[in-house]
Amino acid sequence: MGALLNLDEVEVRRGMGVVLRHHSLRVDGAQYVALVGSNGSGKSTVLEVAAGLLPLEKGRVLHQTTVIVDHEGRRRRSPLTLGLALQKNGVLGSEVVEDHLRTACTMSGSSVDIGPFLESFKLNHRAKDLIAHLSQGQVRKVAVLSALLPAFASEEPCLVLLDEPSTGLDDDAVSVLCRWLSVLRQRGHGLLVATHDQRLIEPATHLHTVATATTQATEGAVDDADFSTPSTPSRRVAPASFGLKTHRQTMLWLNANGMAAVLSLGLLLALGDFFSRLSELQQLGFLLAPALAAGLCGEPLVAAMREERADAWWTAVGGGVPHASWLPFLLGAVVSAGAFVGFQQPLEGTVVLVGGAVSFVVWHGVRYLQLATSRLARPHAAMVGLLTPVLILPYALLIDWLTR
Amino acid sequence: MKSASLVLFTGFAGIGTSLLLAFLWAPSVSIDAFESPAAQRIFYWHVPAAWAAFIAFGALFIGSAGWLFKRSERMWRLHVAGSEAGLATGLMTVWSGCVWGAAEWGTPWDWTDVRLNTFGLLTFLAIYVVLGRNSQPDGVETRDTFAAFGLYGFVLVPLTYIATRIWTIRHPGPVVGTDDGGSINSDMGMVLLFSAISFTVLIVGHMMASMRLTHLEQRLAALQTVTDEVI
Repeated sequence: MGALLNLDEVEVRRGMGVVLRHHSLRVDGAQYVALVGSNGSGKSTVLEVAAGLLPLEKGRVLHQTTVIVDHEGRRRRSPLTLGLALQKNGVLGSEVVEDHLRTACTMSGSSVDIGPFLESFKLNHRAKDLIAHLSQGQVRKVAVLSALLPAFASEEPCLVLLDEPSTGLDDDAVSVLCRWLSVLRQRGHGLLVATHDQRLIEPATHLHTVATATTQATEGAVDDADFSTPSTPSRRVAPASFGLKTHRQTMLWLNANGMAAVLSLGLLLALGDFFSRLSELQQLGFLLAPALAAGLCGEPLVAAMREERADAWWTAVGGGVPHASWLPFLLGAVVSAGAFVGFQQPLEGTVVLVGGAVSFVVWHGVRYLQLATSRLARPHAAMVGLLTPVLILPYALLIDWLTR
Repeated sequence: MKSASLVLFTGFAGIGTSLLLAFLWAPSVSIDAFESPAAQRIFYWHVPAAWAAFIAFGALFIGSAGWLFKRSERMWRLHVAGSEAGLATGLMTVWSGCVWGAAEWGTPWDWTDVRLNTFGLLTFLAIYVVLGRNSQPDGVETRDTFAAFGLYGFVLVPLTYIATRIWTIRHPGPVVGTDDGGSINSDMGMVLLFSAISFTVLIVGHMMASMRLTHLEQRLAALQTVTDEVI
């Protein structure tokens, strides 16, 4: 089996210190590598580096032969199917358990019947519940399952990364987990598991001590586990379609962007009958203002996805952070049409489309500004709103150009 | 710290003298050429403040690049100093411009004027970098993020500089350093030059003091960490 994961002399800084220095690690197919070390030795950092989530000061990370991240900031999508459970669970409370697991499963391009897995983890009675309604231990089981299912569904070798997966799990669940990890290893998948739990260390084929960056083979692994999981081809859920679905289920777009548009239009209408006295440029500015207001609120999913680090899970496994896709265009067009009705003007299709485009561009522009601060320790405190005036000038120039 | 204080004091004194010269000695402008000739004297504050702001934003750019590509502590301190100095001089430029604009154009701001807006954005960027950075614990994540903003923001500097040469809407084009020798007389030019030098000295003193202060803050944080370990 070739290497699925290769950390090549990586150096990583976090906060004011260097956490990993000249650190190398290799995980082949059919290997189960247990990451061991004391608290603060860098186990979680190694896992996040392996998932391509952290920038490197030196070195590079390869998945098979593809460099997914290097010290010069180059990033490429992993050719492997990843299974990932970080210390935070990487789930949204507004997701239904079985929906989340099916979504995770499709990341391999295949799907399996999730029933036996839910049953083994004693979660089948909660399959249709919102994740927010589960206990912490149950949420942890969902997070671990979402890391294992893509590998169970995949015919190709996968890389499974687990950070303290047994935390919060009862003894029965840990036994089941150990058996599943053995099954996955026997099927040729590569496993990297950060743990202090001796029950998870025993079935490992290799131990990697983080403090010394050394790997040694063990004799604990036994090829006796079996778990039949026939899979069927399935279409991968893209970040855009997941984002649209989440917007539809949670109505986040209405709470933030929609209300900003409605309130700005209502405020303008409350100012009285002034519209006919305005110049053509001013009229157009007012007609498109609600669409601009909708966009300036940015992507509410960015903040929502920070819950339990769902954004990190999607970045590593799903290929990007979910977003509202074309929804901003629709909202901008609708509120622009509403502005025509409100100001009692004949509807102009071009302006309605421009309203959609303004909302789309501004919404996604602000989203990129929001994502730019996602690495910070306190991203919510970074005041991205102060940068939104950058979008006023293009808006003013657009209005000026359209009225010439 | 003493040399920084001395430079800073010299800058303040120079600016005070510039203001006295601007109000009491500089010649008045033609009442035909300006809507509000008296307000034109804001020019001796507004233009040097903008000049100092460009120096500060240049320092922000160099500091940001130095941190991102060289991981230099000194360059990070320059980033901090450049952003704070850019915020101070940017606000000086914007508010003096608004006062002058209200008197001369009848409006303090024009959203379709490229120079006004690009300079306003530079100032907003400085506000964002200063406030945003202060909201975060110091660390590589904070430094990388705000250094990247400092780097991207510098794109606005050449855009702001060329804006009046390409899109002159309200803001006038250059009055000094042009091919035709400029549109101000020698006395006006002398006061402007003196004011620009004073602002430059002030901004250099400000950045020296700021870099020293950041260095002391870093030492204090390191000592606190050591104390935590001992206790």
